[in-house]
Amino acid sequence: MDNKQIIGLFVHNHPGVLLRVTSLISRRGFNIDSLTVSPAGVDGYSRMTIRINGDDNQVDQFINQMMKIVDVKKAEVLPENSSVASELILIKTSTDGHDNNDILAVTSKYHASLVNLGDHSMTFRASGKPDEIDTLVKELDEFGILEMARTGIAALENGDKTLNN
Amino acid sequence: MKLNGSEIIAECLLEQGVDTVFGYPGGAVLNIYDALYKYSDRITHILSAHEQGAAHAADGYARTTGKCGVVIATSGPGATNLITGIATAYMDSVPMVAITGNVSNDLLARDSFQEVDICGISMPITKHNFIVKNIKDLANVIRKAFKIAMSGRKGPVLIDIPKDVTGAVYEYERETCAEIVNTMLSSQSDFEEAAKLIAESERPMIYMGGGVVSADAEKELMEFAEKIDCPVATSVMGLGGFPCSHRLFMGTIGMHGGYETGKATDNCDLIITVGARFSDRVAGDREKFGKTAKIIQLDIDRAEINKNVKIDSYLLGDLKDTLAELTKVSEKAEHNEWTKQVAEWGKNSAVTETPKSDNYAHPYHIIEAVRKLTDDNDIIVTDVGQHQMWVSQKYRFEKPRTWCTSGGLGTMGYGLGASVGSAVAHPDRKVVLFTGDGSFHMNLNELATVCSYNLPIKVIVMNNTVLGMVRQWQKLFYGKRFSQTDPHRKTDFVKLAEAFGVKGMRIHNDDDAEEVLSEAFRTNEPVVIDCRISPDENVLPMIPPGKTVDEMITEME
Repeated sequence: MDNKQIIGLFVHNHPGVLLRVTSLISRRGFNIDSLTVSPAGVDGYSRMTIRINGDDNQVDQFINQMMKIVDVKKAEVLPENSSVASELILIKTSTDGHDNNDILAVTSKYHASLVNLGDHSMTFRASGKPDEIDTLVKELDEFGILEMARTGIAALENGDKTLNN
Repeated sequence: MKLNGSEIIAECLLEQGVDTVFGYPGGAVLNIYDALYKYSDRITHILSAHEQGAAHAADGYARTTGKCGVVIATSGPGATNLITGIATAYMDSVPMVAITGNVSNDLLARDSFQEVDICGISMPITKHNFIVKNIKDLANVIRKAFKIAMSGRKGPVLIDIPKDVTGAVYEYERETCAEIVNTMLSSQSDFEEAAKLIAESERPMIYMGGGVVSADAEKELMEFAEKIDCPVATSVMGLGGFPCSHRLFMGTIGMHGGYETGKATDNCDLIITVGARFSDRVAGDREKFGKTAKIIQLDIDRAEINKNVKIDSYLLGDLKDTLAELTKVSEKAEHNEWTKQVAEWGKNSAVTETPKSDNYAHPYHIIEAVRKLTDDNDIIVTDVGQHQMWVSQKYRFEKPRTWCTSGGLGTMGYGLGASVGSAVAHPDRKVVLFTGDGSFHMNLNELATVCSYNLPIKVIVMNNTVLGMVRQWQKLFYGKRFSQTDPHRKTDFVKLAEAFGVKGMRIHNDDDAEEVLSEAFRTNEPVVIDCRISPDENVLPMIPPGKTVDEMITEME
């Protein structure tokens, strides 16, 4: 089963709130593949964006469980077709045995910018939809990925609607 | 006025109407206990033998009064000793505020003496917890803690307070405690949809749980059940929420429930679930549970909807409100044929009682004899195991909040502490603890507390000399390999009781049961009664785990 859904949480920025959320996720057996936390733009609140793998019933359970955490003010699904989701990646590729231009041909397709050139490596920065980042990673894997860091997904729903109100 | 942190704690407890707390002193709570000394005319503190006992006492106090239980413990081991008590309360949605001391702010996070991260440890077993590092937050945190514990689906909240905060001085202003109102989350159309399902049903049943008791909704439930003429089955937690003597009462549902509740579950066309959560002990097979029926669920916790079993229609809110509204919109109905059929199944209840032996008493006999000596308002507490199930099957409960048992967590060793809390809360009622020799051995240290406060608890130890419930499973599912369930203990419970300063008595068999019990109940002092039960006694009927009533075991050996 592969049904990924993104959930936005609007939470009180109290110490331990990340632990409360992740501990509940783990003990209820949910499978998360991305989690980000950042200020919510409203004093005293943070926003978490979590992508989980599960059917509609599981996602419904997830939201209901999250809403039981005292510090969670709101939890909602951000539907794929009416939200914008994005993430950033820094990725270091080996250049040994490859023509740098071949690598650049791949990265340019994804508008990835070269941020550092080493003796045996190139480091790129790219941002975009999570699945685009996934394909970039797949393509660069052909050349050998030395290391990479992804920020995790940030997402907002389209239109005037916000989680904050 | 300016008060120190500990006095602020005491004042905030008084704001909440707290007049009784349970606990155990220690280094990190010295300031708090100094304030309790000062406030002893308004707050009674009950000292336990062990913090776990204090936590169970606060739990028993809360279950039998409907108020929030309060327990205080010191940092480190004092705090960790509360954990089983807090987890027990959490699983059964019992409101409790646990106050733990911690080392001073300047010693925190340095592995100081008796320091432990109790907030981290208690996170999965509390509704919420706080560490109060600044005196200015203290009063509001305490107020918030009580509100969280008592609102929505009730449960325990822990407040961890470093020692310097309990000594710091700050301005305190008394606030009046606002009444908690749970908002109704369902709309009129939700009620009409549920009422339509009820009107269409020819064979409805109610499956009620502890939520009915927790919401004090017993009257509303009865009016509802009577109006739609619907038989009622209860989970173990719901006992007391509907009178056992009522014509519509079927019995408990689930693993050791009656034959009729199982048959009704499999043959009904509508299950109306009220404040219950389809635990594995009730819905052994989640897919098959009520498969021929539509299911309506009334609960206060949205996360219980569709958690274990798929629901057709649900109503969210305080059961007192949702039941009253559902009664209003439901048509009056009669289900004569169906209730007759249910009664018929009840007659067939195929449990055979093990033949008497001169060396043992039969557990049902003891329970029935005790029932004759108790009033409807008297309180029955149990530990966990076979004795607990026998009591849940046989004792005829008539009133809510007269039943204290660890239903969710299944905490052996819960009973004596909970009895202490019940007896402290209700000096005018009898408190009876049914326990087993296994459970009793776990926390019998609280006999010291029973004796100190001269609490007239009647402790009935159903002593079969083995760990009966586990042994029963070994008989059924592990080829009678009785691994570690026969401890060969030589404990003399009569002498043990006497050593604690409590009267001890013994029931040898069915013949002397009445006489011994009558004598024990005549005195207004605590009594421990060692009651000899056969090690081969079983709890029947039994639906094996993961199965339905079709595979009910009614006979063994």
